[in-house]
Amino acid sequence: MTALLQILFDALSLGSLYALGALGIALIFGVMRLVNFAHGDYIAFCVFALLWPSIDAAAIVFAGNLPTIILIPLILAIGAGLSVLSEILVFRRFRNANPATMMIASFALGYVLKNFLLMLFSSRPKSIDLWSNLSQQVEIAGARIPLLQVITITITIVILIALTAFLKRTRFGLEMRAAAENFTMARMLGVKANRVIMLAFAISGMLAAAIGLILATQSGTVDIQMGMSVMLVAFIATVIGGLGSLPGAVIAGFLIGGASVLMQVILPLEARPFRDAFVYGAVIACLIWRPQGLLAPKSAKQRV
Amino acid sequence: MTLLSVDNITVRYGRLTALRGVSLKIEDGETIFVTGPNGAGKSTLLKAIAGVVPAAEGAIVLGGQVITGASPESTARLGFSMVPEGRHVFGGLTIEENLMLGAGMRKDRARVGEDLKQVYDVFPMLRERKDKPAGVLSGGQQQMLVIGRALMTAPRLIAIDEPSLGLAPKVIDQVYETLLKLRDSRGLTLLIVEQSSTRAMMTGGRMILLRSGQVVLEGDARTLARGDTLKKAYFGYGEH
Amino acid sequence: MAQRSSLLARTISTLIILILILVAIAVVTKLLGSRPFERTVVEMFIRVMLVVGIYIFVGNSGVISFGHMGFMCIGAYAAAWFTIPAVMKQVSLPGLPNFLINTQLPIFLSAFLAGLLAALFALIVGRILMRLSGIAASIATFAMLAVINVVYSNWDSVTGGTGSIVGIPFYTGIWTALGGAILVVIIAYLYQISRSGLALRAGRDEATAAAASGVNIVRERLIAFVISAFVIGVAGALYGHFLGVVNPDAFYLGVTFITLSMLVVGGMNSLSGAVMGVIVISGIIQLLRWLEKGVDLGGTTLAIPNGLQEITIGLVMIVILMFRPSGLTRNREITWRFKGATKPSE
Repeated sequence: MTALLQILFDALSLGSLYALGALGIALIFGVMRLVNFAHGDYIAFCVFALLWPSIDAAAIVFAGNLPTIILIPLILAIGAGLSVLSEILVFRRFRNANPATMMIASFALGYVLKNFLLMLFSSRPKSIDLWSNLSQQVEIAGARIPLLQVITITITIVILIALTAFLKRTRFGLEMRAAAENFTMARMLGVKANRVIMLAFAISGMLAAAIGLILATQSGTVDIQMGMSVMLVAFIATVIGGLGSLPGAVIAGFLIGGASVLMQVILPLEARPFRDAFVYGAVIACLIWRPQGLLAPKSAKQRV
Repeated sequence: MTLLSVDNITVRYGRLTALRGVSLKIEDGETIFVTGPNGAGKSTLLKAIAGVVPAAEGAIVLGGQVITGASPESTARLGFSMVPEGRHVFGGLTIEENLMLGAGMRKDRARVGEDLKQVYDVFPMLRERKDKPAGVLSGGQQQMLVIGRALMTAPRLIAIDEPSLGLAPKVIDQVYETLLKLRDSRGLTLLIVEQSSTRAMMTGGRMILLRSGQVVLEGDARTLARGDTLKKAYFGYGEH
Repeated sequence: MAQRSSLLARTISTLIILILILVAIAVVTKLLGSRPFERTVVEMFIRVMLVVGIYIFVGNSGVISFGHMGFMCIGAYAAAWFTIPAVMKQVSLPGLPNFLINTQLPIFLSAFLAGLLAALFALIVGRILMRLSGIAASIATFAMLAVINVVYSNWDSVTGGTGSIVGIPFYTGIWTALGGAILVVIIAYLYQISRSGLALRAGRDEATAAAASGVNIVRERLIAFVISAFVIGVAGALYGHFLGVVNPDAFYLGVTFITLSMLVVGGMNSLSGAVMGVIVISGIIQLLRWLEKGVDLGGTTLAIPNGLQEITIGLVMIVILMFRPSGLTRNREITWRFKGATKPSE
């Protein structure tokens, strides 16, 4: 029972990261049909924003020392700002381009961001002490669960509720949902394209920042590769969930997180190193089973 | 007063010219039909006015303001409400959300509630299902919804592309009856695209016939219907 | 048949021009006589094989594949299995079956078999994956790449795990690489004027119409998938013989993205685009590397800071795509009459 609870928390906290990542990618895809490969680099950028630029092995913590109440909004704002900036400077010019071109442009942008960070910070991973008191364990129904997992899951749930409320209850949310379904029609009803797209980028950037903060706290390191693995899984989750469907993206994120943790447990010892192969195999099976995704929005247009 | 004037516009899709030098003027309160065979450029004309496709040449003026090259949202904000072919309801949004989306750009917030009530009075079926996703509506009901949604933008001009497409004749009658009632009670200007000219003759009003991207005939729908000039122009065998 | 030969007559100039450009680059490189530069050019020719290999599938089918570097991985490791001396394999790859440990094949036979192995794998996997279209197909090919990467990274006794396998005979020089690149360009050309290639391109542009006229898209895609896997498998083998070492991460995301970028920047729907994308991007990278090392200007050496090369190449790609969304060649083929073709930035 306690072991089961531990597995559940492992699955939920890993799934949380994937769900947040998938949400960030799905939001942009919904309004722009852009698969944004730079998303992982936004995550890394937000983590590095905690430090002062230096190529020394030891990290010079700068923003990371600010009080939590300032630090969190600051990093979220950096994520949002970076994301919006990339929309204005780059993606805006690709609105009418075909999806492959947009995808490669986003990859090129991510490449630029990554190498910019490498130039300032070098490629060595650095350790950082961010809210390390959260690494203690708490006891829930007899199982010892890392406090950080509980917090990760809680934060994710709060973000999901807030985002749902925003989308369902506000004017902006209504416009975003409409734009995701049929952008041209929404514009013909007076919905301002630039505003909706920039808002989607801003939220997506904040989600990237949130992932960055969670990853940095979990691992205690700052590493250029940080966003990459989350982004790849998130990207897959977005497609499995049904491109453009936000609930689909979240569900698929949790499913992949759950599948990874579950396979770690049930696979025989000698097969465990190959766990990800089984996970990706399941992804292929899922795609064959439902190519349009688990929750395909009615208006989904496959254009890649 | 001229509400909309389209002056000599040309629209190209790559190497294909969809409209060549089309001009038309719409007076305030007028009903105008644009008809013509498949591929004549009818939908392109509406899209060009709405700002969805760019005009390569020519000018479009709406209510005294030049809107050539303007974005769809700014054209909509000037009072041009477009109901494109195929209706395009937001299937995932509720019926009321669909309606309210159209009201988002209005400055006269106070009147929005009243308009919503009016739309519901005209289409009681929409009120009954206002919290249902719009995707569940039938074709005719969706047509009602998009007309209601267009009304919610407080437009000066509603442009409708093929309102009868895919609807049963009885439903088409209903749609037109409502449209004309609304036109009279609200002083609306209507720009209606239909492939057949029958409806224009029944309804009356001015008619423009497009063929191969050009205006080939223009005049009062009923007058044109009397002779066989119309048929000739439609099929393009003028001299014989 | 008459139609086919007139098609050949109309389009053969593209093939000849592309081959001439490749030969010219090799000859000029030899004349310059710089060893490091020659290595760069060899690498570029291998990239031509890779990008044209991807093009055979992506360009003709319109489906973006993230998985093709998996075939490169399969090809390179197969070449390692076939050509490393038995004594070394007993130590470093003890899990290989005995007959493999004891065989040591000539390079070209090994490269051919490496390509066949990749093609066979593509045939098996493709039967499932080719049913998918659009972005679902792209993700599925990526999942395939990830599976290959995980297996090769962890099956230590057969692949050496994440460490590198050493001891692959050095062989690939500039003429071998040039030959490989020319061969691949010819294969790609012959495929795209073949009945299957034409059908696939028709399906890419007008899916419904092609299906209505009896084109079996799934089958044609599978054919393109297998041919491109063979080509990339061979390229992987030659790459192994060029570096002398292989490790699984050399065939993962980095090379996937750079090759796809070259294809899209060049123009993903034309063979000329695939070749030109490689030449132009490689040319710019080489130019920036020189600048990074420093240019001697009247006694003072001017150099751009380290790391700026990568940033610049990323920015250059973005700018090219902004102004040419369908690539440098605008998806057209270079022919005798076509004047808008970009010349290599040599």
